[in-house]
Order: sequence, then C-alpha cells, then structure tokens
Amino acid sequence: MIRKSILILLAIFLFGCTEQSGIFTPEPEGSITKFSDDTHGTYASTYEPLPSEETVIRNATVFDGNGNKFQNYDVHFANGEIKEVGRDLIVGDIKEIDGTGKFVTPGIIDNHSHMGVYPAPGVRTSSDGNEATSPVTAEVWAEHSVWVQDPQYKLALAGGITTFHVLPGSANLFGGRGVTLKNISANTVPEMKFPGAPHSLKMACGENPKRVYSSRGPSTRMGNVAGYRKAWIGAENHRERLERDPSHRDLQNETLVGVLDGEILVHNHCYRADEMATMINIGEEFGYKVSTFHHGVEAYKVADLLADEGVCAALWADWWGFKHEAYDMTIANIAIVDQARDGTGCAIVHSDSASGIQRLNQEAAKALAAGRKAGFDISEGRAMTWITKNPAKSLGILDQTGTLEQGKDADIVIWSGNPFSIYSKAEKVFIDGALAFDKATNFMPHTDFDIGVKEWEDK
Amino acid sequence: MKYIKYLLLLSFLVAADADDMIVIKNGNVFVDGEGFVKKDILVDEGKILLVEDMIGNVGASTIINAQGKYVMPGLIVFSQLGLLEIGALSETNDSSSDIYNAGFDPTSAYNPFSQAVRLNRSKGVTSTVHVPGASGYFRGLLGFTKINDGYKQKKQGPLGLVTRYGQSRNDSRAAELMFMEDLFALTRGRADEKKGYESDNIQFFFGTNNEYKFTKRDFDAISKVLNKEIPLVVEVNKATDILNVIKFGQTQNIDLVLWGAHEAHMVADEIARAGISVVLDPLDNIPGSFDSLNATYENVTRLDDAGVEMAFYYSQGAGSHNAYLAHQSAGNAVAMGLDYNEAIRAITSNPASIFGLVDVGSVAPGYDADLAIWDGDPLELMSNVETVLIDGKVEDLSNRYEELTKRYTEDRDKPNSYRSR
Repeated sequence: MIRKSILILLAIFLFGCTEQSGIFTPEPEGSITKFSDDTHGTYASTYEPLPSEETVIRNATVFDGNGNKFQNYDVHFANGEIKEVGRDLIVGDIKEIDGTGKFVTPGIIDNHSHMGVYPAPGVRTSSDGNEATSPVTAEVWAEHSVWVQDPQYKLALAGGITTFHVLPGSANLFGGRGVTLKNISANTVPEMKFPGAPHSLKMACGENPKRVYSSRGPSTRMGNVAGYRKAWIGAENHRERLERDPSHRDLQNETLVGVLDGEILVHNHCYRADEMATMINIGEEFGYKVSTFHHGVEAYKVADLLADEGVCAALWADWWGFKHEAYDMTIANIAIVDQARDGTGCAIVHSDSASGIQRLNQEAAKALAAGRKAGFDISEGRAMTWITKNPAKSLGILDQTGTLEQGKDADIVIWSGNPFSIYSKAEKVFIDGALAFDKATNFMPHTDFDIGVKEWEDK
Repeated sequence: MKYIKYLLLLSFLVAADADDMIVIKNGNVFVDGEGFVKKDILVDEGKILLVEDMIGNVGASTIINAQGKYVMPGLIVFSQLGLLEIGALSETNDSSSDIYNAGFDPTSAYNPFSQAVRLNRSKGVTSTVHVPGASGYFRGLLGFTKINDGYKQKKQGPLGLVTRYGQSRNDSRAAELMFMEDLFALTRGRADEKKGYESDNIQFFFGTNNEYKFTKRDFDAISKVLNKEIPLVVEVNKATDILNVIKFGQTQNIDLVLWGAHEAHMVADEIARAGISVVLDPLDNIPGSFDSLNATYENVTRLDDAGVEMAFYYSQGAGSHNAYLAHQSAGNAVAMGLDYNEAIRAITSNPASIFGLVDVGSVAPGYDADLAIWDGDPLELMSNVETVLIDGKVEDLSNRYEELTKRYTEDRDKPNSYRSR
C-alpha cells in the first residue's frame, strides 16, 4: 500500500494535469463550434463503427444527459444513431431489450485519461505520457504515444466509458496535443479516433512544471507564466510569418496557432484558484479561451468567474492532500462549480486514473451527496450531466455524443440499477449502436496483451 | 445470561451515577453474526455495556434517537492518517524513516489535529492502523491509534512487521528468499547469544552497496516475529510469490499476513489451508505490473469462497487522505458478489481479529464504544455519517472541507477573507 501510494503520487506529479481551453463561449447549446479534421491532417480518424442492429430498449428509467430523468421510457436506435427517446415508441419488427428495472444513460465520457500513454503494466518501456525534456513541447501528440493494446480500455468499458480523452502529462507548461478516442479496441490509433473531434492542447500550471524544471527554469510560478506568454508571442510571430510564407512548417507553433485559430481546445491542468484567474487573463491577452481547467481542487473559489467566462472545470470528487496546491479541498467543489451563477456552471467529473475511470458514476454520486449536504438542490439528472454532456461539451463533441437525442451517436449504457448506487453495474454498453460490452455473456474486447499472458481468465 | 447482565446493570445503576451514560435507541445496529438488526445500545465509561432489544432511558444523560439510522462499528482503516499532511512535502511526512527499518514504529509521530484525521473522523472512521514506510529492507511496524479529538489517544501495538516480496526489489526473487533466511538465522543466533545481543549497538550492513542497514532495534523487531508475538506482513502480489512466502512462513514457523495480494485468488485454497489472512483493496483490478497480470475484481469473492479472512483498505485516488473510502471498496466488493455482512466485517471486526486488536471493531458488550451512526446504508456513497462516538464520547465532526464550503457558499456579500472561519 505504501509503494502503491508512492506510485499514485508519482503518477499525479508526473501526469496529473489537465487543461482545457476554451473555444467555448457561454453560448446556447447547439451553437458549439463545429470542428473540422484539418488540424489532424494525414492523421485523421479512420474509425468505423462495429456492426449494429436496430434496437429499442423498453420501459427503462432514462437519464438523457441533458439534466432529465424519465420513468418508463424507451430508447430507439438504428444505423448507429439515436432515433427517438420517449414513452411507448412505435417501431418496426426490431430487436427489443426489456429495460424494466434498468437505468439507461448516455455513454460515459472521461475527458482526462492517460490510458494508452501510461498503459498497464506500468513499466518504463511503455511510459509514454510525458515528454519531460523541455517546458514547451506543444509539438508532441499524445496519439503518437498511445498503445492500442493497453488492457485497461476494456476495464473502463465495463464501467460504461464509451469515449475518453487522452492527454499528455503535466510536467510541461505546454505538454502537447491530446486526442479523443472511442472506447473501441483497434490495431491502429486512427481507428480509435473519435471522428471530427478537435485536438486539445495540454497546459499545466503550478507545482509540476516548476518542480520538474527547477534547475533550468521555470522554477517559480511567475517563471511559468512568463513561459506561457513567451510561447504565445512566438505563436503570433509564426502566424505573421505564415502570411508571407504559407508553406513554412514549425510543429510547436502549429499547435499553438491552432489554439489561436480556435481549432484546438486548451485543457489546462490548474489546481489553484488564483492561477486559474491568471490563465484566463493570459487567454485574453492572446485571444484564446480556456476550454476546461482540470484538477482544479480550488475551482469552487472562482466558480462565478468560471461560469462568467464559460470555462468548464474537470474535477475529482474527493482527491486531495497529495501536494500543497491540492490542500484546500471540498467534496462540494463540483456542486459549487455546477451551481454558480444560477446553475450556468460547467462541472465535469474526470478521473486521471485507470482505476477511477471504471467508476465515474460513483465519483459523481459522492460529489452529488456533498453538494446536497452543502445545501444545493441538485437532481440526479443534473449530476448525470457531469459525466456525459459536460465532458462532451468540453471536448467539442457535444453535437455527436453526450446526450440521448435524436441524430446523435447511439453511445448508450444500460445499468442494472440506479447508477448513483454503489451496487449498480453497467450491463450493456453500446458504441454507435453496436454492442461493445455485455456483462451477462461476458462479451467484451480483449487486446493482444490479454492473449496468452493470463494464466487465469475472468469467469 | 441476559438476565445476569440486567442484574449487573441494575446494581450498576443503583451504585453509580448515570450522568455520563449514553443510550442509542431504535437504530439498525450491526451485530456480528446477525447483520443490521433493530437494537438499543447502552454506553458507559467508554464501553458498550449492553446491546439489547429495548433499553429504557436508564437515567442516561444523552439519548440518541437512531430511528431509521444505521449504527455500525467505526471504521478501522489502514493508512498514514496523522502521519502525513501533504504528500509532496516531506517536512509534513512522518510515515517513513531512513535510520530504522524493521524497528521503525511511526505511532508516536501521530498528529491528532491533522486535517486528514478530522475529515476521516467525520466520515465514520474511529481508528487507524499506521502503515509504516521506512526506506530500508523492512517497511517497519504497524501501529494502532484511535482518532478521537484532543491530545490523548488510546494506542495498541506493534501489530505486525511489514515487508515486501517480488518485483518491488531489485535482486532475484530467489536471492531475496535466501537473504530473508540468512537474516532470520542471524537474528535467532543473536538472540541465543545473549551477550552479543545485549551489548552491541553495532550496525550490520547488507546488500551490494551496503544499502540495507540493521541496528539492534531492527533485530528486536524481527525477534518479535520469530517469537510469534506479531505476524510478518508481506506485501506480495504474484501467485507464485505468494506460494513462496507461505512456504517461507511455514519453514520459519512464523505467522503471516498477506498484503495487496492481487493474484491471491489463484492460490486461494493454499492461503486458506495455511490459515493466513489477507489485507487488500477489492478495487485493485488493473494488471498494473508483471506481478499483477491476473488482477481481477473477483479476487475477493474467490478468497471468500475459499474461506480466507480479509480486511479491506482503499488505495485508489488520494489514498490515505481518503482512507474512509474503504467503505467504497467494501461496497464494490458487495457489487462483485461478496456477502454484505462480510464486507462490513472487512472494514471493522476483521482488521481487529487479524491483528489481535483488543476490544475494538464490534458492537458488543465489553467493546470500546467506537461507533458511527449513518443516515443510510453505510456502503452507499450517498449516505452520510451523522454521529461518531470514540471511547463513548460524542466526537466533534467539524472539518476543514465543510468549513471551506461554508466560506464559499455563505455570507457571500462579505469579502471572502472576512467570512466565517
């Protein structure tokens, strides 16, 4: 346990940082910027959904991911898309699943994962999450580290995860580009890439960069901020040069200019409230918005500011104390962020953990309970948005997934009971309408790593 | 028997003043062997006096109405609570030692005013088993402390000597076994030759770079294992390693407890036959190392089927700071198929029985009144702890997290620095 704690601490130090930048203004839903695959170039998604069957789930309790909880509802999907959500739906002669006593939610989305870049087993030879060789490595892409055989994906799938965002670590001021993946095992990374999902840029505040680079700098928080600003000035210069010399290539600045052009979303690992405010100022100085602050243990202290600026906060329910900037915790953090400015805040439960990603519903339950204890009137439906709609919004994929609405990807989880109960399990998980996991028949993907290595198989 | 107790109670009531007695009425009380049943509890002088169907008010000064509530033993967690305030700041970390290893007992470093202690108390924890983290060959000795408010805490221990086996060491597993055999033989020899043992304070060094150092204090701790005063607690995951450890324990004629034990389910029958208990986190299902390739959620159910006694800790996320989440580990174990009452025991009475703790971990007459009263099923994450008693005293459950919450949700017309503290 001791060794484990140390490993966990190391993991947090090494890669516990998320950033999110905001292309998002607090605009009404549905008007979120539509992203192109331009920034992905030749690395664009080649994802193809698994074969699926037109299906209706009957008579379930349905969380739509939009804040609602409906009793005795049906969910109809075909050709990978949601057709209709409602009561007593009239459909043709298609597959029916009895949802009586079951709960249905959108596929769960984790916008902070290091699966693939810190795969299991955790050995040096596949520890590929942190290019900790320079404080600015905006040029690296997490997708070029992802190991498609990581045996952790299916464990997350059993917890209802249909989409996850893989970020580089937090050693650097600019850690590189993150990538959004469908939770589908494949032999190449592009086959897992969420079609049309924008890249992210991972940035990190505070203790990590200044500790990792203490000898060469930055070694202080003010050094960190100077480092961000210098890099953005470099990006502005690069953009000017492109006007004269459009064919000029500069990997680092291509990522940064992608942010300034609104095509890449900033995901910013930042624990302290005062630093979040500073990072928002830097965005104003250079003309970009932070999409999401990650880890923000102190987000509740600037909840109004985050709501005003339309910045999401991706948070743990209860992690704290592993470093100084994670000391001022409250388990009501997520609820306070959510309820800021008359409930216009954007709160997200994230994992940053291959263990936590398996139970994001339980993490949401703890955050909901703490919010209610703090006096907020928060419904289960609202809390469900923390692990569905809001992370989808944060990743720029809300027009495709995150809620159960007509025309969206049929990313759906059927739970054995209320997902806010510790005793409930994901029973069936559909990705683009295809059954990807079925607890009853032990149907799940197995990566090559699982083959032969195991002396013992799950029952 | 019952009637003798009532006679005793009657004589007690006549003789003593009932002012500081507490009655907890109408709660669903967790009773060993029965599960949650409707009972009243009479507490006096820090002890549970009676657990019966109907206890009157008997002149008690405090009556707690637990109608609809769940009363269970306070959680006994395995943690660095009170030894570690901020993980990354070594100046706030007293859970490790470079000077001593086997002989290192962190108990005296315990800080009752740690914010982590306050949080965990408010979440239904009443005591902690101190998990040591010495940097030498052994981790050190397990201690035990109640986590009540104030300067004085009841302590027990040492409870066990912690070491590790497997890939966590650099040398071959074979060499590690040889070293343990040699070290134990040396310790026995020193104990036999009283003279040398008493007089020297010489440090013995082992390892290719003399990295392993042993002082008299360290040898004394190893002797406690050899004398069967305490078990050797071995952090080990790989199934074949577990078999080696069991064999080693039998050859050395010592008591063992397994810790971590990700692949224990593969050798569950062997563990059961050797009468060895296991301390683990049911949530450890990731093949996170080559020693844990067969990690699975089914570890607990398979060990339980084989009849192995288990205690649970929570090692995910923030670890020790949230040691109370052992109840989340236990709840998930139930979701995986473990019997509900067994899961409760794994975070209350089993830690006590595995490590020989006296008078804690159960709601029964004669036990310390270390109790938590929950507003719902204690394994559900949306249930709240309402009242905690440690040694019969109703504890202050205030904590920094709720104080910070208030600061940012109340009195918001004032500048935040001038709000409540």
